[in-house]
Amino acid sequence: MASAMPPTQAPANAEYAGDEINALVLDSGSYTTRAGFAGEDTPKSVVPTSYGSLPSGERLFGENAIHLPRPDMEIRNPYNSDGIVEDWDTAARLWEYSITSRFTGAKQTPPTRNGLNDGTGAKDENGDVEMEMEQAEDQQEQPLAEFPLLMSEAPWNPTKAREKTMEIAMEEWGVPAFFLAKTGQLAAYSQGKATALVVDVGHQNTSVTALWEGMVLRKSIFHTHLAGSWLNSQIRAMFATLSPPVPLVPHYMVQFKQPVDANTPSAATYATFSKPPTASFRQLEEDRVLKSFKESVVQAWQGPGRLDSPSTNNAINNSSAGYTNVDYAKGLPPKPFEMPDGWNSVFGIERFKVAEGLFDHRAAYPTPAQPELKGESTLPSLLSRSLQACDVETRAPLLNNVILTGAGSLIEKLPERLQSDLQTMFPNPKVRVLANSSAPERKFGSWVGGSVLGSLGTFHQMWVSRQEYSEFGAGIVEKRCK
Amino acid sequence: MPPFRDDQIFIIAPGSQTTLAQLGLPESFTPARYRMRSRMFPAEKEGEYEAVKIRRKQRAEPSAQPQHQDGAISNGGVHEQGQEPEWEEDRVSEEGAIWPVRHGRVVDWTCFYALMEHVYNTVNPPFHTPILLISEPAWTLKDHERVTQFFFEKFKVPAFGVMDSAMATTYAYGIPTATVVDVGLHKADVTCVTDFLLHDVGRSLAVPGCGGEAMTERLVELLSARKGFTKDVCEQLKKSSICEILPSDTDTPDDEPASAGGAANPAAAASTGADGAAVGSRKSSVVDLPRGPGPGTDVGEEKKLEDDEGVLDIASIVTGGNMSEYLAQKEREKQEKAVAKQQKKASDAQQQAAARPARLPNAKRTRNTFIYEDFALLDAMKNVGMNSQGMADMQSALEEGPNKRQKTPEPQSAISDKPADAGLDGVVDRGPSGGFRREIEVGPERFQAASRGILDTLADAIHRTVQSCSDVNKRSDLWDNMIIIGNGSKVRGFKEALLDTLNKKYMISPSSATIFTSELPSNLSTPMATGANTPQPQLPGQMAPHHSGVNQLLLHATTAQNPQLHPQSSSILGQPHHSAHHAHSSHAQTPTSIKLAKIPDYFPEWKEVGYDEASFLGAQVAARVLFVMDGGVSNGYMTRTGYNEQGPGGIHECVL
Repeated sequence: MASAMPPTQAPANAEYAGDEINALVLDSGSYTTRAGFAGEDTPKSVVPTSYGSLPSGERLFGENAIHLPRPDMEIRNPYNSDGIVEDWDTAARLWEYSITSRFTGAKQTPPTRNGLNDGTGAKDENGDVEMEMEQAEDQQEQPLAEFPLLMSEAPWNPTKAREKTMEIAMEEWGVPAFFLAKTGQLAAYSQGKATALVVDVGHQNTSVTALWEGMVLRKSIFHTHLAGSWLNSQIRAMFATLSPPVPLVPHYMVQFKQPVDANTPSAATYATFSKPPTASFRQLEEDRVLKSFKESVVQAWQGPGRLDSPSTNNAINNSSAGYTNVDYAKGLPPKPFEMPDGWNSVFGIERFKVAEGLFDHRAAYPTPAQPELKGESTLPSLLSRSLQACDVETRAPLLNNVILTGAGSLIEKLPERLQSDLQTMFPNPKVRVLANSSAPERKFGSWVGGSVLGSLGTFHQMWVSRQEYSEFGAGIVEKRCK
Repeated sequence: MPPFRDDQIFIIAPGSQTTLAQLGLPESFTPARYRMRSRMFPAEKEGEYEAVKIRRKQRAEPSAQPQHQDGAISNGGVHEQGQEPEWEEDRVSEEGAIWPVRHGRVVDWTCFYALMEHVYNTVNPPFHTPILLISEPAWTLKDHERVTQFFFEKFKVPAFGVMDSAMATTYAYGIPTATVVDVGLHKADVTCVTDFLLHDVGRSLAVPGCGGEAMTERLVELLSARKGFTKDVCEQLKKSSICEILPSDTDTPDDEPASAGGAANPAAAASTGADGAAVGSRKSSVVDLPRGPGPGTDVGEEKKLEDDEGVLDIASIVTGGNMSEYLAQKEREKQEKAVAKQQKKASDAQQQAAARPARLPNAKRTRNTFIYEDFALLDAMKNVGMNSQGMADMQSALEEGPNKRQKTPEPQSAISDKPADAGLDGVVDRGPSGGFRREIEVGPERFQAASRGILDTLADAIHRTVQSCSDVNKRSDLWDNMIIIGNGSKVRGFKEALLDTLNKKYMISPSSATIFTSELPSNLSTPMATGANTPQPQLPGQMAPHHSGVNQLLLHATTAQNPQLHPQSSSILGQPHHSAHHAHSSHAQTPTSIKLAKIPDYFPEWKEVGYDEASFLGAQVAARVLFVMDGGVSNGYMTRTGYNEQGPGGIHECVL
């Protein structure tokens, strides 16, 4: 009866389709970490980069764990505000989790996996699970030894961080081959472009990367914090300016809500906690609400001109002096939004204003963290600075291939506005902003690019193999992964 | 000529607790013919497993239906017993069993393979048999490869397919876009499927603490103060008809007047409701159909007898300790319902005697309606504690519990009891030691199985999953097509309570502010702006902000915040308006309505047992499509040749 075949005896790769390499692509961002096999069209594993940290030091990964209100769980993020990994240990565990949880199985995960099971694992089956783990350790010390790994990095990732990443991949995970590519580069590949100016609006940062015939122009790399997270703070600030201020109550606080009239206080029944979850948890959950707000309400003024510039929309209104786009936008129907506690209202001009700061620094709401925005950090000026750093003759082709990617770029009309602003700034060459109309393609732009790159036959020569690593050390990453 | 015939197809659906299997697709699809407990016992030799203790349920025709009804909540174990006395030795406890699937993941592969082998040998398919395996959503790609390799190399199958259980469910429902909530033993999975395309991104896999087990544990915890409520007992309590989950606002039945309870929870009322109704519903749900001719009538009559007069008698008997009489009656009863009623009355009687504070309100409610109250009870508790099957233990246990009214069976009566029960009920409790039927009174705890945030956690996972579906336009469809399946959701009222929770927490009600603004009619032809740069309304069907035709007062009211609008609105007809660039799609926020999807009831056998295992039905549909009708054209399964060429990894190329 027994013996099923040992599951570990996978037929050797060479036996089947020998030349096909199943590479893993790991695109780690400060908001989500995307992982999947090269050649697929979306990452099969998308886990939040934020993790829960318990007082015991245990770390909880994954949506299921971090959205569960617990009194003592702090939500943390291994990235710093600049989009660079700060907490390497956690980042490594997290990346590993993103891969093992969906692809290679927890079995191969080292003992630290405790944290991965959301703490509820193995209640009644301790025996089995433990056995299993011992077995796992025997079998495989290194969790990802089977597949070559292609990772993405922020374009401004410092050398040290790059070397560290490679070290983790090679030594902790035992990957057979490794490559590190910049997100901007990958996003361009996802659109099939080798020459492009990539604007990647992420969570913590928006970056601009110029790519010339496949090569990243290092001097062209600029980034700013005007991205998804900053938009959240703008929305918060906007909520505070309204009178009365808009209450932002996350879902977990609400037991159930009741329909109320617009702008009237909520009549919800609130959940009670003997010890309320931490502030960081609340922030995470509030961001969920804000995400929904951004999806359904926020919209960029699509141009031409800024929100506060004179309207060019129609002749009659033009004639009356002082009629601006703001006035025009106010005439548009406002959009409703309902908070988790039932409070609801419509947002008219406000929904344009919160996104306006991306393009016009004076229009941004002052936030406690940042009373005043610098003009150089807006998207158009970022692009312009990036272009200035490139050779003159490259500018026209780059402007003709502006690729807009990143989940933050999904704000309605943002591509149109960028196009319009660029056109104004660079009237001569033809400006073309390419934004894939499919949301997943834009959200996972750099992952998709990695998927494309990783499945190219020619890419196989680019991998840094294990052998090369052991020969040259982590420094090889600078030479090979440019 | 299709490569396979209907009768050749072998479907296996492994689960944490029950593994379903069936060979061949009948003309009209039926629930799985084989249900096996998903566990194996370690054999003497390490690494080998025995299935001897597995209670195999061969459901022949008649037994098939009953199973689901009863066993649904719980598990396959329930049925089996009725069948064959020879299996007596099987009734040994499951202690020491290894359950290879936990939390939706395979935790012990060797054991899992042994289980698959056991299933295979039990069903014993002929040589040319393709296999369709229903996979748990939490399985990793590597896991898929492993099972692929195993099936091809161990059983030499000519073709093999792996289908995700959520996907299979949508096949059963025949709807392309749905949110599948599969509540299992330890976990729940929430999956968005749009246009038959499964969304991996944002999918909630194996949400812990949302399964049937969590409810059992909650009951254990709630009842921990009372003796005798072992996990096993609580498990049965959970499966029993008295355990219900009430919508959140009726959470505390103690405080609720019965009428309120009834009004608020029609579903619950229906299930436990008036006597007549209750009899009917109970019967169908609890009594096993196989018993055939007698059950309805017999039961009904008996109940009446008891109701009328027997109740008090029984109560007194019970309290007095005269078990034998009670037993005699009980054998006749067979009806949990009847028992329940008795219980109720018994408890009333008891209340007077014991005058427990908690009881009084119950009694009042009893009078008011027959609903939630005091069914104290949980009859048919055959096993106290799995470990000790010994009757001695049971008896001692019985005697310990003052709260419960037990009839302690004498050994003999117990013996006689058991076959009778089995024959009648067809319900086999997993407690093999069989025979003891005890009644235990349970207070309002029985309504609180899901009280520790199970519903909230699950609702949150559902909300999160749907809201992260990248196909924004499909979200409202997803909300309108909720599918709640899985044996964990069989607890009475669970689905309703879950929907209720979703409704109360997440439903976006039509905002009073949006009534006019979002539905502005556009009577004017859209004035086109002059400039070349002016964007045009992009999407057909979106509304332009033309105010004509709108009641001016309403318009004023709704635009009061924007003074600029007023002059415009006064000159509506005279001037062209700003062209609407931003076409206004009404309410992007979801959900604005939440509905359960309807399953087509083509299959009478399924209809009878309920659709909690609809994924198996879907697997049958899919198997017919993939293996027979489609014949492999769309690459829905992997052939032996394909395996030889591509290896286990090739399974990922096969859709589903």
